[in-house]
Amino acid sequence: MASSTPDIPIPRIAATKRTTIYRDMVLIAAGFLVLIPLLAMHRVTDFMIFCIFVMSFDLLYGYMGRLSFGQMLYLGTGVYVSTLFSLHFNPNPILSLMAGVAGGAIVAGILGLIVVGLEGASFALTNLAFNQVGFFLVGSAFQRVTHGEDGISAGVEPWGFLDFANESVAFGFVLLCLLFTFFMLRILTTSPFGILIRSIKENESRVKFLGYNTFFYKWLTFVLAGAVAALAGTLYTLYIGFVSPVFIHPLNNVEVIFAALIGGAGNLFGALIGGVLFMAMKDSLSSYIPQWEWILGILLLVIVFWLRGGVTGLIKTLYLKARMAKGEAKEVKKG
Amino acid sequence: MIQTLLYGLTIGAILYFFAIGLSITFGTMQIINFAHAMVYALGVYFLITFMPLVRDFFPLATLLAIVAVVPVAYLMERFVIRRLYGESLDYAMIATYALLLIGTDVIKYVWGNTPQPVTDPIGISFQLAGIDVPVYRAVIVLMAVLVFAGLNLFFKKSIVGKIVVAALEDTEGVRCLGLNVDKYFSFVFILGSALAVLGGVLYAPISTAEPYMGHDILLIAFAVVIVGGMGNLTGTFVSAFLLGMVLAITGRYYSQAADTMVFAVMAAVLIFRRSDA
Repeated sequence: MASSTPDIPIPRIAATKRTTIYRDMVLIAAGFLVLIPLLAMHRVTDFMIFCIFVMSFDLLYGYMGRLSFGQMLYLGTGVYVSTLFSLHFNPNPILSLMAGVAGGAIVAGILGLIVVGLEGASFALTNLAFNQVGFFLVGSAFQRVTHGEDGISAGVEPWGFLDFANESVAFGFVLLCLLFTFFMLRILTTSPFGILIRSIKENESRVKFLGYNTFFYKWLTFVLAGAVAALAGTLYTLYIGFVSPVFIHPLNNVEVIFAALIGGAGNLFGALIGGVLFMAMKDSLSSYIPQWEWILGILLLVIVFWLRGGVTGLIKTLYLKARMAKGEAKEVKKG
Repeated sequence: MIQTLLYGLTIGAILYFFAIGLSITFGTMQIINFAHAMVYALGVYFLITFMPLVRDFFPLATLLAIVAVVPVAYLMERFVIRRLYGESLDYAMIATYALLLIGTDVIKYVWGNTPQPVTDPIGISFQLAGIDVPVYRAVIVLMAVLVFAGLNLFFKKSIVGKIVVAALEDTEGVRCLGLNVDKYFSFVFILGSALAVLGGVLYAPISTAEPYMGHDILLIAFAVVIVGGMGNLTGTFVSAFLLGMVLAITGRYYSQAADTMVFAVMAAVLIFRRSDA
């Protein structure tokens, strides 16, 4: 792999060792386990599924710099493909999951051919438009199959010990999926491929000049993001067992955008923290105030104007400041 | 069929009013303004509030609604959008989306959630080739043409318009001439918002007023802007009526697919245009 990359100093991020990834995974698992006594276990499972979705968005936005207003489409594809698969083909949860992920990847693969060549506003809006089309297809056009607004129950049946009616099993399975996604994305984003998509974010023309086919890399990232979003969708199907067009509604895109931003975009930890923070906020606020979206709006403005790095960015800045202060103190001592 | 075509023209006119502001904002400031939908809905609610005050005289209430929205648009431009000039597009999109969220909740808080009807201010129709044509719709289409002509005149003849057109082409170049571009952008932004309000107000009697009315038209208007070319004034006019027709004709046969058809046209244009470039 290294031989195909031009002879430039590879940034330090590339040198992330496997052991640090394992350490991080243990930390994440511990973090979610700690959340269980604070919230209910089924809420934490819910949070984790959302976190997977945020990671898929972050791969596109944080790493490749393409803001999509239509990532719900892939979540919804996962939800509906797995539901319909379990109803009409096979009630096995694992097969339904694979079908859902494959469905999301295929839809992303086809639409990606159109979308990936676009940039900035056109990219965001075209995704939003496709999301709208998907919502229409699910909610109106194929009402006979999907039961439209009424929603349908998935036909997933327990398979071996994998019974999603059992809270702990569901929790464990979702946690495994989350860790797996984290592991894969961590490897991916620190590999030469990850550096490449990050370079595309910074300056696509230069990457092109280096001889890379940026269209292909962008497409591949788009498909991966679609597949991960679909994974989150299928987990909703398996876990909740009842799906409705809410899971593909274009207006819900703001949630994942917000979660990625509040945690800090371009950082998988940020995606996880943002996902948890957002869900916790949504839970607590919506139970106290019926109309809480304006609070979301104000927080978004705060992030855009003063807190671009999100929570992880803030922690990093504080940490660096603290270290710098320490370093200065040391130097003063030396002097 | 003539009824459908007329409906298409009406929708096209409304889309034009809405999309022109989006298009100019994007062309000059490189900002995708989601808050446009908020201004649009807000204008309609202002109209509803002002109607009883002016004894249901529609044109005056329209004027008042537009005037009332101007300060809102100014504040938005001054304190949010101006701070995002030259920044990455994403933050501008997110910030204006945030404004849309806040604005929609404010509307819900002040005027309530339930849809409110607005009566047809003219309510007469005339016969054209044996078909009833509501005068009001004809007036809307006529106004769109007038606004298009007026904007063309403004952008071609007036000095402010010329500066804006130049800025659409090359903002930095205009700045280098020593002109305070921001001032003109601010003006154009308010102009665009006022036209969106006009569109909303004119459309309200055909539909109903509800807090999310802006969201629905926003997506279609984005399609109009993309098809017409961002910052292309004539292109926006043509594509607004084209997509209005698409909406009306699809809606006649399969009403739920109307929006989807618009996006299909947009996708086709995008694919076609890329192979062109």
